[in-house]
Amino acid sequence: MPLLELENLQKDYGGLRAVDDVSLAVAEGAIIGLIGPNGSGKSTLINLIAGSAELSAGRVIFAGEDISALAPDAVFQKGIARGYQEPSLYFKMTALDNVLLPVKGQRGEHPWYAPWRRYWQRDEIKHAEAAAAVLDQVQLRQRFDTLASDLSGGQMKLLEIARCLMGKPRLLLLDEPTAGVAPKLAYDIFRQIARLRDDYGITFLIVEHRLEILFDFADYVYVMHLGNLLAEGGVDEIASDATVREVYFGD
Amino acid sequence: MINIDIAATVVAVLTLFGIYSLMAISLNLEYGVAGVPNFGQALFVSIGAYVAGITYTRLLPILAGYESIHPCGPTMGAALQLRSEIMATQPVAGFINLALTMMIAALVAGAVGFALSYVTLRLKEEWFLALVLLVAGETVRILVRGADDFICSNNGISGVAQPFYFLRDPGASSFLFMLLALALALIAYLYSERLVRSPFGRMLKGLRENEEVTRGLGKGISLARAQIMLIGSAIAACGGVLFALNTGFVNTNDFVVNLTLDVWVMVVLGGIGNNRGAVLGALLIAVMDRFAQVGAIILNMGGSDIEFNYVRFIGFGLILLWMLRYRPGGLLPESRLTTDAHDVVGRLLGK
Repeated sequence: MPLLELENLQKDYGGLRAVDDVSLAVAEGAIIGLIGPNGSGKSTLINLIAGSAELSAGRVIFAGEDISALAPDAVFQKGIARGYQEPSLYFKMTALDNVLLPVKGQRGEHPWYAPWRRYWQRDEIKHAEAAAAVLDQVQLRQRFDTLASDLSGGQMKLLEIARCLMGKPRLLLLDEPTAGVAPKLAYDIFRQIARLRDDYGITFLIVEHRLEILFDFADYVYVMHLGNLLAEGGVDEIASDATVREVYFGD
Repeated sequence: MINIDIAATVVAVLTLFGIYSLMAISLNLEYGVAGVPNFGQALFVSIGAYVAGITYTRLLPILAGYESIHPCGPTMGAALQLRSEIMATQPVAGFINLALTMMIAALVAGAVGFALSYVTLRLKEEWFLALVLLVAGETVRILVRGADDFICSNNGISGVAQPFYFLRDPGASSFLFMLLALALALIAYLYSERLVRSPFGRMLKGLRENEEVTRGLGKGISLARAQIMLIGSAIAACGGVLFALNTGFVNTNDFVVNLTLDVWVMVVLGGIGNNRGAVLGALLIAVMDRFAQVGAIILNMGGSDIEFNYVRFIGFGLILLWMLRYRPGGLLPESRLTTDAHDVVGRLLGK
């Protein structure tokens, strides 16, 4: 059974159909690429899965459960975390606080308990150690005390992934994880992604414009065009697909 | 020249400082930390004052073993006399009444804050919440002003004496009341510091920084926003109770939008998101208030027809604009300190 299944997803904005009858399946432990020209509906599709946009029709099935109607916070609790295309870190908070915030079920998050440190301090120490380990994985441990706004562009992207990891997701949705990052760093980011998949079995659905990098790491690729699913297949298949080349490169 | 009693002035300024601190801490929690732009601060302060107006006229006589007399209309004089007598002779009834007043005020204001933040949840922009609260404040004020049953409509309620009135020594009772106000402000400060430096505080900051992302990271932001509105409103209402006791009078005219703006000036001046900054802002405004009052008296005695109140408004407006332009973080910007987690990771790294 696939980890994530989309059944005939549709999203209308007024008269515009941004996503039209898209069905796809994501196998557990895979790195799946989602590509297509600007405005083809990729980001909308991510928003539909994450619950931040409401479905016009269709169903989202995650781990055998229909999560179509869930709000974003409930989707996260189910085990789907997401990154954003635009900068989305908490820039006035430290790297450590950025990754600690999404930890699920923190006792100290309840205003009734929050002022009484001894109720949550032991948990907090445990979370801090876990956070240090996660920051270590993205080579940001030494910078735990740095404000997110003081990190480099590549580090920001890695911190965003680290922040998602603290929620212990089974599926990570990433919307252009290498946007605005130098090519070498972009490669590093994808290497990290592959390592997270290998070490923890996390599944990835990645919207990406840098095909040359994506194709080195993806197991399977879906191509969207004008809200429709245009093609799907392995990397080699997609890279040589004539229709894909036509809409994507205009040749 | 006029004679200024320095000791009395210091006591008056510090009392005001304690009361303003409660209001500023409240707004700092709501706006500074959680990013909820509460433009209804006057509403929540006024709830405290109105509750005091009601308990001091209805509850106090019962606590002291009398029948309560309707405080308005023909029995107004008799009711006032009874109040003053009880406050002068029965300190225990006075203190119990004050404690109950604080509790009721905090509960009512907290409930209103909680409910209003939920009502406005469907509004897309958080600034609509600011407008709803602003309008709610004025609406409630005008309703109370028109209703005879709460605080005698236009007339207001006088004789809402502070609890140390029984000492019959104005100097000593003002001093003790100052200590009470400062003690409550200190409790509110320590409480909100603990709140901010907890996982709850971290979540509130996340809510301020990016609501959508915080929701995407699994947090129930509507509930968190309602919770901080509840806490902030309760603190503001306690400030409102003290505000009424300090002037000895409850009148709707004290709770116009200007009061809200004063509290905003305190927070913006002192430091948005920093409790210490909010307290510093409260101190500066309390001092400036006093100077403005003295300045107004001196000007009037010198035969000037400048209405000093307006000078004060202009001054506060200029402070606000200057701060937002040149020091948007305030005099004491937000600290990056949060929970002990940073120490834990620091130790792991051997720092």
